[in-house]
Amino acid sequence: MRFFAMSAVLALAMVPAHAQDGFDWRKHDGETVNLMLNNLAWTQQMRDRLDEFTTKTGIKLRVETYSEEQYRARLTTLLQGGSSDLDVFMTLPSREAPLFQANGWYADLTSLLKGDATDPAFEYEDFSQALRDSGVVGETVTSLPINVEGPLFYWRKDVFEKCGLEKPANLEELSATAAKLKECDSAITPWAARGLRGTVGYPLGGFVYNSGGDFKDADGKATLCLPGTIKGIDLYGSLLREYGPPGATNHTFTQVIDLLAQGRVAMSNESSNEFSTLMRYPGRSEDIAVGVLPPGADGTSKPIVINWSLAISGKSQKQEAAWYFLQWATGKEVQNTLAQNGIAPSRVSVFNGDDFKAWASESRPRGEWLEALLEISQTGTSLYQTPTLTRTPEAREILSSVVQQVILGQNDAEAAACAVTEQVQALQD
Amino acid sequence: MPHQPQTGQTAMSVRWMMIPAVILTLAMVVFPLGYAVYLGFGGGSPATGFGVANFQRLAADPSFWSALRITFGLFLSALVLQLVLGTALALLLNRYDVVRGLVRTAILSPFMLPPVVVGMIAIVVLDPGLGAANWIVQSLGFAPLLWLASPNWSLLVIALIDTWQWTPFVALIVLGGLQSLPARVYEAAEIDGAVGFRRFWHITLPLLGPTLLTAAVLRSVDLLRFFDIIYITTQGGPGNSTTTLNIYAYKLGFDFMDVGYAAAVMIVLALLVLGSVLFFAGLRKRVSW
Repeated sequence: MRFFAMSAVLALAMVPAHAQDGFDWRKHDGETVNLMLNNLAWTQQMRDRLDEFTTKTGIKLRVETYSEEQYRARLTTLLQGGSSDLDVFMTLPSREAPLFQANGWYADLTSLLKGDATDPAFEYEDFSQALRDSGVVGETVTSLPINVEGPLFYWRKDVFEKCGLEKPANLEELSATAAKLKECDSAITPWAARGLRGTVGYPLGGFVYNSGGDFKDADGKATLCLPGTIKGIDLYGSLLREYGPPGATNHTFTQVIDLLAQGRVAMSNESSNEFSTLMRYPGRSEDIAVGVLPPGADGTSKPIVINWSLAISGKSQKQEAAWYFLQWATGKEVQNTLAQNGIAPSRVSVFNGDDFKAWASESRPRGEWLEALLEISQTGTSLYQTPTLTRTPEAREILSSVVQQVILGQNDAEAAACAVTEQVQALQD
Repeated sequence: MPHQPQTGQTAMSVRWMMIPAVILTLAMVVFPLGYAVYLGFGGGSPATGFGVANFQRLAADPSFWSALRITFGLFLSALVLQLVLGTALALLLNRYDVVRGLVRTAILSPFMLPPVVVGMIAIVVLDPGLGAANWIVQSLGFAPLLWLASPNWSLLVIALIDTWQWTPFVALIVLGGLQSLPARVYEAAEIDGAVGFRRFWHITLPLLGPTLLTAAVLRSVDLLRFFDIIYITTQGGPGNSTTTLNIYAYKLGFDFMDVGYAAAVMIVLALLVLGSVLFFAGLRKRVSW
């Protein structure tokens, strides 16, 4: 008996420290996990670091990367077909979480988080509350946030100075500022923003909220036919019509950022994600200023803030190995590295950490960007279309069609917004 | 040469040899088509159940009817333009021997370009702010145009892009037809005094009938299921001005994740393609000589 007791103690002593607490990064050594990624700034930064994961865990990664449209098409095909070839994918919870969960396309991360397949150092609570909530459907954790982002107001400091202008104090002043810019410097387009179908809601949301609007009425019924909403839509559409580049109805973030980066546009409301892309262009780190979208006339400021996340396919046969990847990719160490390359972290500890702050303090635009992100994280909302649990893309499409009518001068904002009331209410679950 | 009767063994081995082709056809054609029909009739969807619910929804869906009108508009405008211009180009190539070799290849080359390249060229050339098209328009003293960003003109512009790409293909087919026309008919016509446009209208065009219908069949199949260039340049916009049935079905299936309904739209489109092929094939039988 004594011998057995001694043997047990010896055996325990010989177990490696990392296995004693039930977690071993090498548990799935030799397995292969299939990733499908959307080609965002996060993905570009991660691509060069994936080997570090294989070195740490022994898990091989097979990665497919597509641009957003192709990504969505391929992802839907694989998920719809119930393919077990897909293990990990990127997801935009504000757009698709309830629908994907209803279809069984997400693996349940709740049990994985609680089990011994989770590194004790992982700290799920370190993700900011709002971002954590974005991936929770009902009681189920469906994804982990990889970043935080939202539309920010970019403007050309040098052009403003040349024309004797200040950043508009509120949204109402935007048109007047654009008019003055047009008069002062005819070589530069005063304003650019998205006009392409399906993409408008994201930069438009702040205009609606700051103008006192909403996407639902006091009874919670979906509608765009509200005074503040109409005002926001009118402001957004009129700005593009009067002061935007020609052909804006075919523009999404790629065209807007190209115009801004090439120095052809003086102001825009575009994704914080594109900041690092913008800074790579010569001269932009000196002349671009960045901040939160100006508030409404009464001081209301409710910006849009969202996050991309990583999820595991509900049909994956390698959910635990895939979970190891999620833990690594959203862990503190990786986020800290990415943060110093312009990817806004979803972890509070990294966001508030010395490294990120030191990086941000290296230049004026970085500091402004960090401050703006901090503000939208605290005051923002992720709802930028009529509320629906499962038909968000359709709601965004209807919203875009309303805004396009205003941009093209086919209809006034009120008529266009009120004409779709039945359509948007039909989408509500 | 009279058919030789097959022995039982030969017939059997022929059947065995056909098996790979049959399997391939089943896997690549019958299964996807059958699966689309299954989805279109609500297969696998607890929401609609198996039946005609998706087709009833189609009948009451204004977006579907709008997409159908746009599909037909694009189909007719591009087909007419391509047949007329393709015939004109073929006559030109047939008449002037000097247009040979590299020049002929250059004229005929657009249809060899991948649609992505054509779409990207169109985006660059037709950009309202930076494109060459507006530079030319403004140099001529006219106001710049919105091209693909105009809801009134975008469909016609797309038809013109497709016409630019595919007219040479039609010209190639018509050129083949022209070169196979019997010389004796022209000799007789010349004796009777039929020259110039009269000769073209009363002799060449009727004789080219079967060739033109062959070109029409090939182009109509492509035009009805036209997708790539529209998706690259406008994604169906502005508004719904270039949302054809194909673009609509794509949005339904991949953006709205309404796969069953998207399959129903595609079944209608497949029937349209089949109908157009049968129509032109029937017409071809009537005009053969």
